Amino acid sequence: MSQSTITKPDRHDDIRDGTGDERSFTDDISLTLRAAVVGTGSISSEHLTFLSGRSRFVDATPGRVAPVAVCDLSPVSARYAAETFDVPNHYTDLERLLEFERPDVVHILTPPSTHVQLASLCLEAGAHVICEKPVAASIDELEALLDVADSCDRKITESHNYCFNPAITDISRLLDDGTLGQLREVEIRIVLPVTDTGGRFGDANLPHPIHSMPAGVIHDFTTHFASLLLHFTGHVRFHRAAAAWSNHSTNPLFRFDDLDALMIGEGPDGPIHGRFRFDAGAGPDTFTVRVYGSRGWAETDLFQPNTRVVIPRAGGSQLSPIANHVANGAELIRNGVANLGRKVMQRTPYEGLHLMLDETYRALATGDTLPVTNDDMRAVARLVDQLLEEKTRL
Amino acid sequence: MTKRASSPILRSATTRKSSSNPNRARLYVTGGTGFVGREVVAEARRRGHATTVATRPASSGRGDPGRSSEARVSVDLRSRHGLVESLDGVDTVIHLAATKEGDFHSQFAGTVVGTENLLAAMTNAGVSNLVAISTFSVYDYLHATPGQLIDERSPIDRNPALRDEYARTKLVQEELYRDFARAGNQVVILRPGMIYGPNNLWHALLGSDFGSRFLRIGRNATLPLTYVENCAEAIILAAERISDPDSALAGEVLNIVDDNLPTQDEYAIEVAAHIDVPPTVTVPWPVMNAVSSAIKATNLHLLHGRAKFPGLLVPDRLHARFKPLRYTNARAKRLLNWTPRFTLVEAIEASVEAEANSRSTRHSAEPLVSFEDRR
Repeated sequence: MSQSTITKPDRHDDIRDGTGDERSFTDDISLTLRAAVVGTGSISSEHLTFLSGRSRFVDATPGRVAPVAVCDLSPVSARYAAETFDVPNHYTDLERLLEFERPDVVHILTPPSTHVQLASLCLEAGAHVICEKPVAASIDELEALLDVADSCDRKITESHNYCFNPAITDISRLLDDGTLGQLREVEIRIVLPVTDTGGRFGDANLPHPIHSMPAGVIHDFTTHFASLLLHFTGHVRFHRAAAAWSNHSTNPLFRFDDLDALMIGEGPDGPIHGRFRFDAGAGPDTFTVRVYGSRGWAETDLFQPNTRVVIPRAGGSQLSPIANHVANGAELIRNGVANLGRKVMQRTPYEGLHLMLDETYRALATGDTLPVTNDDMRAVARLVDQLLEEKTRL
Repeated sequence: MTKRASSPILRSATTRKSSSNPNRARLYVTGGTGFVGREVVAEARRRGHATTVATRPASSGRGDPGRSSEARVSVDLRSRHGLVESLDGVDTVIHLAATKEGDFHSQFAGTVVGTENLLAAMTNAGVSNLVAISTFSVYDYLHATPGQLIDERSPIDRNPALRDEYARTKLVQEELYRDFARAGNQVVILRPGMIYGPNNLWHALLGSDFGSRFLRIGRNATLPLTYVENCAEAIILAAERISDPDSALAGEVLNIVDDNLPTQDEYAIEVAAHIDVPPTVTVPWPVMNAVSSAIKATNLHLLHGRAKFPGLLVPDRLHARFKPLRYTNARAKRLLNWTPRFTLVEAIEASVEAEANSRSTRHSAEPLVSFEDRR
């Protein structure tokens, strides 16, 4: 962002004054989808990077999508985001944005408690909605929102971004091609120091809005847990579940800072176990996904991608363990170098978000099924609700 | 930490007494419990001003105990809640609060959105006098010629994409200050250099931590320093004058640095004579400059500018900290009628003494600390 650009005249002011050319932006690209972004917090940088064609994870596709406006309650935040990503207009009032810009798609990146209200507003204004997780606080809220979308003949989707990370895609492929055998168990573990008082969740001066959600700060991660589990299992109903929600830090700001959950369901090929673990006290930062099949297992860390695959290899049962060590050792060295490159080149774990947005826009443009469907969102919301039910709690 | 016992400090020239100030005002200080804020509040008290100290809710118990002339309001500038009411009866706002930690968005929220909310509240509350604290970081150092004089007319950085979060957010903050001034308010922007003092003597203008050692960059560059008490006095003088139409201070930008600025070597030697400093490795400025320039060129031409390197290897940031330049405080001294009271030696000795007093206070207070507080 240059100092001079921040002082560029606000086109929105021109429009309000009736002196601006309010539709000129679309004159030469009338076939593109017009996208708007609501909320300019940290995740907005990823969405705007994609929308402005600067993503390093997907090929720029000029003409398919064009960002037309940014909205935030803070004028300077809206203006700064617009200037940084060359978005032509910025607003502090979503209704005015919808009226003047008539976007085809709105990205809702505001605190979770505002999602349903803002998404409804956008759907009723004729825009499709891409919403950050969690789209709703419960399955009931989600169903009501999906009804709004249906009645408006618009689509809404939720960010299940990690399901699109290449490491997850790689493990899916190992399941699909039978390398791992039949799925038996999925274990997902997130270690993050969310209770640090210097962090965004531990700030007691202005408590983060996520604390008002049913699972408190862990609600920021429940969509990741559930979407990844269901990504591997399909829409399995887990008829047995138990969840220990704890506040080990005893910090009153936090409803919970620790989750240990076990789920057992019946898959097409037999029982499937799921395990979620969220730990704010361990270290270092970790986001591991481990998938066990009847023939072998695979794991990765989404923060530092390195996929380890333990399967029967050439040499039979005697030499397979050694062959696995050699193969995974070589992979570890390769990924050690690759991850250094990723760090220098600023390739973040959000690459899945870019890939998901790319697929979503392709689907919106062609009318195909969205990569994250209504049923995907329902299954995630239902599972999260199940883990929060009193009868489930340990 | 103290290496040699600080001698009794001869402060006959620097001792200040409470004054019967004809320009008494109700000052509102944001960041009033911070490193600079504490000294600003103390200086305001010495000069007879009533102060309202804005502290964040979780910080309300910190800092000096309240005085009769000092009111405290609990607000977080990132939220508009309660801000207008907190400004009731205020004559002049001294805006010190900024966020220096966290990622860009955290700093943007604390520094930029916080300022936006404060200025909106001032407008609603009818408070029009503002002493706005900016920073030397806003200048364009990359394009400055070595040895050039940096003064208030020097260009600010208009392409700060590669600067650190602090510089980028403070640049946006200055735009808000200018917008506020254009709206008819009385605004003076103060740009302090590196503010040093107790617990902040060995600082970022000397170098960076490098494993178990400290990597010093250069020896002979002049340091744009201001001792925290000198800076605080300049701030209060600005607050006294901003509401005076005869002072012609409104609309001014003033650089705040002390007199007789030391070089890196001079400063480091003086500090090392008083406190333990880490073992250092010194890299000459031309070498570091050449290395960072080569890396930037490689990044731009081979990696499309997408690679991110540590700040010392980014010329835009390196130049802002270590480039040999010259500085002046002439404008501030003239318009504020200000003379920095503490010399370098006095300032370092006062800092060491304050650190020692702070340690002894903490030590004597230890029995009062509860078991919970120790965890």
